[in-house]
Amino acid sequence: MLTRVRRWAGDGGLSTLLFLLPLLVVFGVFSWFPIVRAAVMSVQQTNLVTAPVFVGLENFETVFSDPLLWTAVRNTGWFALLALLFGYPIPLVAAVVMSEVRRWRGLYSALAYLPVVVPPVVAVLMWKFFYDARPEGVFNTMLAWVGIGPFSWLQSAATAMPSLVLEATWAAAGGTVIIYLAALLGVPPELYDAAEVDGAGVWRKVWHVTMPQLRGVLLVTLILQVIGTAQVFVEPFLFTGGGPANSTITVLLLIYDYAFASSLGGDYGAATALSLLLAAFLAVLSAVYFRLTRSWSTS
Amino acid sequence: MSATTTERQATASAVPPPSPLRRRREPADPGNRGIVSAAERRTPLLGTGLRLAHVLLLALLALVGLGPLLWLVKASVSTTQDTLRDPMALFPSGIDLANLATAWNDVNIDLHFANSMIVAVGAWLVQIVVATTGGYALAILRPRYGPVLYWLVLSTLFVPSVVLLVPLYLTILSPPLLGTSLINTFWAVWLPAGANAFNVLLAKRFFDNLPHEVFEAARIDGAGPTRIFWSVLLPMSRPILGVISVFAFIAAWKDFLWPLLVLPDPAVQPLSVRLPTLARSIELDVLLAALMISALIPVVLFLVFQRTFLKSAGLSGALKG
Amino acid sequence: MGSIRKSATAAAAVLAVAGVLAACGGTAQPPAAGGKTAISVVSLKPGSEKAAFDAFEAQVAQFEAANPDTDVTSQEYEWTGPTFTAQLAGGTLPTVFTVPFTDGKGLVERRQLADITDHVKSFGYADKFNKTVLAAGRSDDGRIYAVPTEAYGVGLQYNRTLFTQAGLDPEKPPTTWADVRNYAKQIAERTGQAGYAQMTQENTGGWMLTTLTYAHGGRMQVAAGEKVEATIDNPGAKAALGLLRDMRWTDNSMGSNFLLDWSGINQEFAAGKIGMYMGGSDVYTSLKQQNNINPADYGLAVLPLVPGAQSGLLGGGTLAAVNVKATPEQQAAAAKWIDFYYMAKLTKKDAAELDAKTLAASDQPVGVPKLPVFDKATLSQYDEWIKPYVNVPVAQMTSFTNGIFEQELAGEPVSHTQEMYAVLDSVVQAVLTDPAANIDALLANADAEVQSILDRG
Repeated sequence: MLTRVRRWAGDGGLSTLLFLLPLLVVFGVFSWFPIVRAAVMSVQQTNLVTAPVFVGLENFETVFSDPLLWTAVRNTGWFALLALLFGYPIPLVAAVVMSEVRRWRGLYSALAYLPVVVPPVVAVLMWKFFYDARPEGVFNTMLAWVGIGPFSWLQSAATAMPSLVLEATWAAAGGTVIIYLAALLGVPPELYDAAEVDGAGVWRKVWHVTMPQLRGVLLVTLILQVIGTAQVFVEPFLFTGGGPANSTITVLLLIYDYAFASSLGGDYGAATALSLLLAAFLAVLSAVYFRLTRSWSTS
Repeated sequence: MSATTTERQATASAVPPPSPLRRRREPADPGNRGIVSAAERRTPLLGTGLRLAHVLLLALLALVGLGPLLWLVKASVSTTQDTLRDPMALFPSGIDLANLATAWNDVNIDLHFANSMIVAVGAWLVQIVVATTGGYALAILRPRYGPVLYWLVLSTLFVPSVVLLVPLYLTILSPPLLGTSLINTFWAVWLPAGANAFNVLLAKRFFDNLPHEVFEAARIDGAGPTRIFWSVLLPMSRPILGVISVFAFIAAWKDFLWPLLVLPDPAVQPLSVRLPTLARSIELDVLLAALMISALIPVVLFLVFQRTFLKSAGLSGALKG
Repeated sequence: MGSIRKSATAAAAVLAVAGVLAACGGTAQPPAAGGKTAISVVSLKPGSEKAAFDAFEAQVAQFEAANPDTDVTSQEYEWTGPTFTAQLAGGTLPTVFTVPFTDGKGLVERRQLADITDHVKSFGYADKFNKTVLAAGRSDDGRIYAVPTEAYGVGLQYNRTLFTQAGLDPEKPPTTWADVRNYAKQIAERTGQAGYAQMTQENTGGWMLTTLTYAHGGRMQVAAGEKVEATIDNPGAKAALGLLRDMRWTDNSMGSNFLLDWSGINQEFAAGKIGMYMGGSDVYTSLKQQNNINPADYGLAVLPLVPGAQSGLLGGGTLAAVNVKATPEQQAAAAKWIDFYYMAKLTKKDAAELDAKTLAASDQPVGVPKLPVFDKATLSQYDEWIKPYVNVPVAQMTSFTNGIFEQELAGEPVSHTQEMYAVLDSVVQAVLTDPAANIDALLANADAEVQSILDRG
């Protein structure tokens, strides 16, 4: 036994372990342990004052019996859908046009990416002012120039969510543009040459060469965007606090409210239960998505 | 912790496919063509159409990307009344530079600015240490349990950060073996930032692709694992360190929910957490000045990092050659 | 603050070299330094003027001079539900902190506050408290866990400048809700600003809807034996929401921002964008310290109460409490601080004068209208003591100060108050942002929802 240990240490097993130590400690304490803890907490009642009690599925029952849950799920779905409508095609078109730019492409990229580097909190607080619902508000002033509006933006249940999505799209689209652009520039030029030999025009090249080549990237960004929007927090939290009349309360905001918003101590069990449900839903969604798209993403 | 889609996408974009920014500097290559052929460019309809589309896009990007920031700069030196009454007018009652000084001094933006820097630098350091040492051990030293460990690390990529929110918060409240709460200490932000599987993936993949003969040669020359790490591996890894650094820094600067939870004491709060609180009490012109200052730093860094990005891209090209 | 920055930089260096864990700073209970007992106390709200913080520090210095073996550090503080929970759970609450009346009972029941009965008794006024007011900080067996430091009644805050601009007499604030509505309309039409505004966010929507409901003779909860019954679906609440709907949708006199919390509405009022709103009678302090209001703009009137036996004015207040995790020495020192900073000035002439003098020297508000924590005589006595230092426009508050003691005061609902307020937030928001909102249905739903919260216990 001892000789085996010595040989292991002599072979560099010890120094390997030392190199892995930061990773093991950081992942162990701040990733693996909390993940396991989440599963445990979801079936416990934890209030940090008394010892946790096993409560079975009670936390899940609490979550499912909360009338706000379905509102939050609906709102989150609505946010994700709007975010796809706004945020999916526009960057693609922009990237296709940009890929044809011969001079100053860096300028285009920089301009497109600029909003991404603005801290989200700054962006939201700035846009909150843009969304001033008075006719003198920034957007209402601009829209008045072309004879539209004024809109109530965040101040009505109907327009609050689209307003949130608009800002979120502004903040994120640049990243998507850069991804598409990278993929577009990675398309082998020979494919276009070959298509031209077959007499293809620009549109046919876009449809039959570019798009198939982008398929993989498009599919991945789609699911990544859905996963990301399902966890939207900063926008509803800072813009509207979930209002007006719960029209922008999202699943993550609800989790936050469970855990941190009651002034008399949080319901950590319900919060972890709901976050596990969300994670499970996203896992199933991704699995189904990749299964469905596998056949046409292999090219 | 809580990487947004944006960051993930941005990170994704920076890695496997060649970056567009990198391509920009490459010498004009006759084979480097896009959808539209040179011949098509010369046709009047397509050529004009394309040029028009380019100009239109540039104008649009300038309006959307730069417009709000320019407005913020203007508003930060306007009076509250001007900004409220006619937000699109240019300084009807003059420029008010005092806002910036007030924001910086009286509202303690300097303190929160420093906190943001500390948070970002610490998170960056932790991420670099974890990614390089871990990546080195997994890719070069290759212990027998390596694949299992690597799989364990990668599996955390599939757990949405929201799952960690509450248990990680409770872990910070009472970390194992430490006996004292990490709340209101910067460690509460730094250490969880290190548990970023994406960084480990990037570093390991990069190290995997380094020529193994170099390490063999060093070992034959009698260099130990530590020596190899410091003197052989790290000098060769500047490009990937650059990529990880940039995204670690930007992510730390942007993070909101996590520092909001673990840094309740205003004295240690970074800008992102402090601004919403201040927004509810300070005057509008000062708030906008504070927002401008907070946006300026990452924007300037971005312009600088663009160049470092190109440099590291060039380095990786040199390494390959 | 500098030391925190320094220690963080040092910590970063440690990490770089060794990657070793080391905790730096930030513990809730400051350790004893050189044999002294260290306590941390809450100071003022975030964003208060520097002069206000200076005045506070001057008072800390006075306390330390009188108690040389106590070391006091202060941190800014504003009670909001989420931050308080996080601090409570995180153990980062200072040794002395404040909570609203509405949370006293719940915290006492969960034993999350230190028992300070003996300390309070030693100060000699434990028996003099207004019984209903003290109830919020007492356990069922009569122990004292928190002491009421100030009480307020809701008043009608109004902007005198906007009144004048709209052709209204600032000396004649509205006395009926019909007046409020007409005045609001006139202000909105003539000045373009919101004639009347209402809080809607972070549980303040529920708080203010409850206030408006009380004023219309309704109640949100009634005790039914052991249980508490939600009575949200009552005629008073209907009248209250009907009034809001008429002002919002018929008159369009409520401006364009309907997502306002306490800070938000104060900010807009101080900026001259709101004609009238309901707020605590002591809000002027914050309007001055945080929002730098022009004193000439400020007016405070009693809230109109609809005639009828049931109509009441909602009142509430603040409790000071001691961290349950503090050591006995710290608890003793903390109780002394509560006595010094919050209580002594209400009962002792020299303390009252010193406090008022210190505040006035830094140009901080002195003389904001409050309700009695002890009895009315004690409060009048206090008002007499501080008279030479009063620097708030009391003449612009006479409608309130003359009328308040004729109003029937009613405490806030007692059970799950903040949770109920959260449910009501969205009711108010719905009425103000949706012209087709069905008030009856909203109230019926909220009633059922709150009842299920109450039944959960």
